[in-house]
Amino acid sequence: MMMMSMEGLAVKLPSFSQIITNPNHHSFTHKPFSLKFRFNFRKSSSSLASLSVPAAATAPVSLGHSTRPDFEILHQKVNNGSKLVYLDNAATSQKPSTVIDVVNNYYRSYNSNVHRGIHFLSARATDEYEMARKKVAAFINASESSEIVFTRNATEAINLVAYSWGISNLKPNDEIIVTIAEHHSAIVPWQLLSEKTGAVLKFVSLTEDEVPDIKMLQDLLSKKTKLVVVHHVSNVLASVLPIKDIAEWAHDVGAKILADACQSVPHMPVDVQNLGVDFLVASSHKMCGPTGVGFLYGKSELLEVMPPFLGGGEMISDVFLDHSTYADPPSRFEAGTPAIGEAIGLGAAIDYLSQIGMQKIHDYEVELANYLYENLKTVPGVRIYGPAPSQTVDRAALCSFNVDGLHPTDVATFLDQQHGVAIRSGHHCAQPLHRYLGINASARASLYFYNTKEDVDDFVRALVDTIGFFNSFN
Amino acid sequence: MNSTTANSTVASVFKPPQSHSIPPLNSSNRSPTHIQFKPDHSNLRAISTTSLQTPHPITPPQPPYFPANLTVSEKLQILISEFKSLPEPIDRVKRLLHYANLLPPFDESRKIESNRVTGCTAQVWLDVMMDDNGKMRFIVDSDSEITKGFCYCLIWLLDGGSAIEVIEIRVDDLREMNVGILPIRASSRVNTWHNVLISMQRRTRDLILQ
Repeated sequence: MMMMSMEGLAVKLPSFSQIITNPNHHSFTHKPFSLKFRFNFRKSSSSLASLSVPAAATAPVSLGHSTRPDFEILHQKVNNGSKLVYLDNAATSQKPSTVIDVVNNYYRSYNSNVHRGIHFLSARATDEYEMARKKVAAFINASESSEIVFTRNATEAINLVAYSWGISNLKPNDEIIVTIAEHHSAIVPWQLLSEKTGAVLKFVSLTEDEVPDIKMLQDLLSKKTKLVVVHHVSNVLASVLPIKDIAEWAHDVGAKILADACQSVPHMPVDVQNLGVDFLVASSHKMCGPTGVGFLYGKSELLEVMPPFLGGGEMISDVFLDHSTYADPPSRFEAGTPAIGEAIGLGAAIDYLSQIGMQKIHDYEVELANYLYENLKTVPGVRIYGPAPSQTVDRAALCSFNVDGLHPTDVATFLDQQHGVAIRSGHHCAQPLHRYLGINASARASLYFYNTKEDVDDFVRALVDTIGFFNSFN
Repeated sequence: MNSTTANSTVASVFKPPQSHSIPPLNSSNRSPTHIQFKPDHSNLRAISTTSLQTPHPITPPQPPYFPANLTVSEKLQILISEFKSLPEPIDRVKRLLHYANLLPPFDESRKIESNRVTGCTAQVWLDVMMDDNGKMRFIVDSDSEITKGFCYCLIWLLDGGSAIEVIEIRVDDLREMNVGILPIRASSRVNTWHNVLISMQRRTRDLILQ
């Protein structure tokens, strides 16, 4: 019988799956999507019925295993010859070959300045650049692509809101609500802003479960509140905030809401219209895209009345000696030559992620998150921060932790040097949070969809060895 | 060469044992900038010398004269070759942890904000003094054992040095100390020793300007 369907092809899976999981088999690294080998058995398919399929062939290959071949960088040895186990994804993600190829191809084939030129290369660059903008808009379900402003990163996007929206909308004694668990980029711009405008910052602290206290946030909201700035997913606590609810409460008192989605957009479906946020920021480099580009989503009616942030070319309409008029959003907020190739690369990253499906990525990561948490918890002396996962509480696939009697930097150094395991140690740009928790620093292991349970096993094994090593010295 | 010259040549590189030991600091005419040591600190240099001369796979060069007369750059070479002789990261970490244990205790009351070295991922306290001979003395502590080990090496390099030696040592000279432990050559908050060195230099400068 001819095997025409994908299901039929899947019968040969045992050997294919070995190829996929063998990191040294480079023939797959150039295939943009190894996902063709995903196991979508339709058991009712008649093409399968006549073939005797051994049980092992139906074992699903995890998303981590199926996507790993797309990431050459993961297949290397570091330091003393240990294989790299990359668990620092909350800091930055790796890029699939397809994204690297797209950026490469931009520079090789059609690099040209956007928006201004009328020649062939410029037209193509402009098309691709604007297509990337449309892809970002579609990815987060913005209603128009003009609601997407390309910035250098999420930090710049927040500063844009602070300097543009903030300066023209905040008066002395207006209140800005943030949580103590915010990333520095979501605290410092507002501190700078409060110095300029006289607005006051109010901080929401944590509950006993180590999540931001939503009740306290509600209590802090008042007619004086003009802006609420919250993370969607915490890069330290791994907790997830109910953004949709918070947006409603903020709007009820006439305040705007800015969501820091750096740790959510890469890992789950995010729908800005559904969430109801006024502003949302994210970075390309955390979602398989290049560094150097990020974006601000802002509701059209807000962006339209916001004054410029940076001044220069592209954001103007007419320039005279004594004054200038400004372009419409998003151009108004995109002064100068943008990171063209990188934005196009972000578009390719979005294509790649969409091909897998954000819900699928999220579901796999919930599985990984639980596996990481449960296994890390078994290591004696380890203290994990943030809420425990449960039926009602999903954690992101990351754990910030400390080991009794050891400095996280020592732990991370030994893990790297002796075991090739890459984690982060420090305050993860969240000093107020660390101070609140009573610690100076923590270690953090953070996963992405190309990590596997084996990565977690390697990490835990290495951690146990590390702790044993340091304890033997005391 | 007459005997006088010969003797003076020898004398310049060979100090008699008694001047090797750290001068008694419990002298009565201490000024505020010359902070007294606890008596057991007086063995600091002796301990540090001994530990670095214990048998290693590759023994660092045995100086023919007392280590008190090693220049900073000579000490640096010893340090670098010592770490280079340990190819396995686990051995380098072990060596650093061993050194960490050799650091004398840091008075808790001296763990004040002005003694904190800022910009490090680990917490580091540094106290900087000038002894009665005008030499710079340093004591250091950290909550990270590996950092303590690094700082021990830094102290060994610069403790007892002249203010000029401390100020003039270039960060680049010390980059080799990164060998094997942190592959990062550039200075950053992760290079705690870099921040500690900068702090040592700044405070040395402040002390001599007083």
